[in-house]
Amino acid sequence: MLTDMSDDLMTAAAGDDPREGLLAVHSLRVLADRLEALHVERARGLGWSWEQIAAVLGVSRQAVHKKFGKRFR
Amino acid sequence: MFERFTQSARQAVVLAHGVAERLGADHVGAEHVLVGAVLVPGPAADALTRLGTGPDALEAAVRSLPAGAIDADALAFVGIDLDSVRAQVEATFGPGALDDDPGSRGRRRSGRAFDGQAKKLLQLSLREAIAYKSNRIDTGHLLLAAVRAPDSPAHRALLAVGVTPDQVRDAVVATWAGAAS
Repeated sequence: MLTDMSDDLMTAAAGDDPREGLLAVHSLRVLADRLEALHVERARGLGWSWEQIAAVLGVSRQAVHKKFGKRFR
Repeated sequence: MFERFTQSARQAVVLAHGVAERLGADHVGAEHVLVGAVLVPGPAADALTRLGTGPDALEAAVRSLPAGAIDADALAFVGIDLDSVRAQVEATFGPGALDDDPGSRGRRRSGRAFDGQAKKLLQLSLREAIAYKSNRIDTGHLLLAAVRAPDSPAHRALLAVGVTPDQVRDAVVATWAGAAS
């Protein structure tokens, strides 16, 4: 009985609870931000220009410089 | 801008530092300013009382915000295995690379500063004061500013204690009206 109930709860959570999907989106954003910062820092360290980094990220040079310029020079 | 702040609004900003420290944050965020605003007696505290909640519940909500945390279960829900992502990242950047927010390193050195969201909240409080034709910025305006910025942790904390932006707005306006009469 108890196991039945928790099985039902699990199914509900994985199936149609918007909260699960939203939490996933939030974690994806945090993960993407961390990865972006790590790779930008590394690229700068390897001598990449802001233009080169921006081109690969698909954003303007100004955008990437505004976001990371202070942190990674 | 601070010269327009009432005594209690100034106190709220000072208290925000203590709240951030208590919650172990390395910066003062909008959510800490929000908790500071409802800790001092004033319109924000009264408005939350009207809504059946208070600073303790709000601080607990801030504490449990998923801010900055990567939730392995949530990622598994969309088919991403955080462990294998972590293994890949650590192979290039070293152990713990994913756990440490690389952007916060520079900020940590300069002490506990207001982050972008907190500054935004203070600016929005000025806009709220103008909207309500007030010369002064009180804690009520700070609370309204928190509901105006939909993407801030302050806004999420309010939602987490079960109050909607409309309810907050009505409660603050009612509090001001009550204080004026």
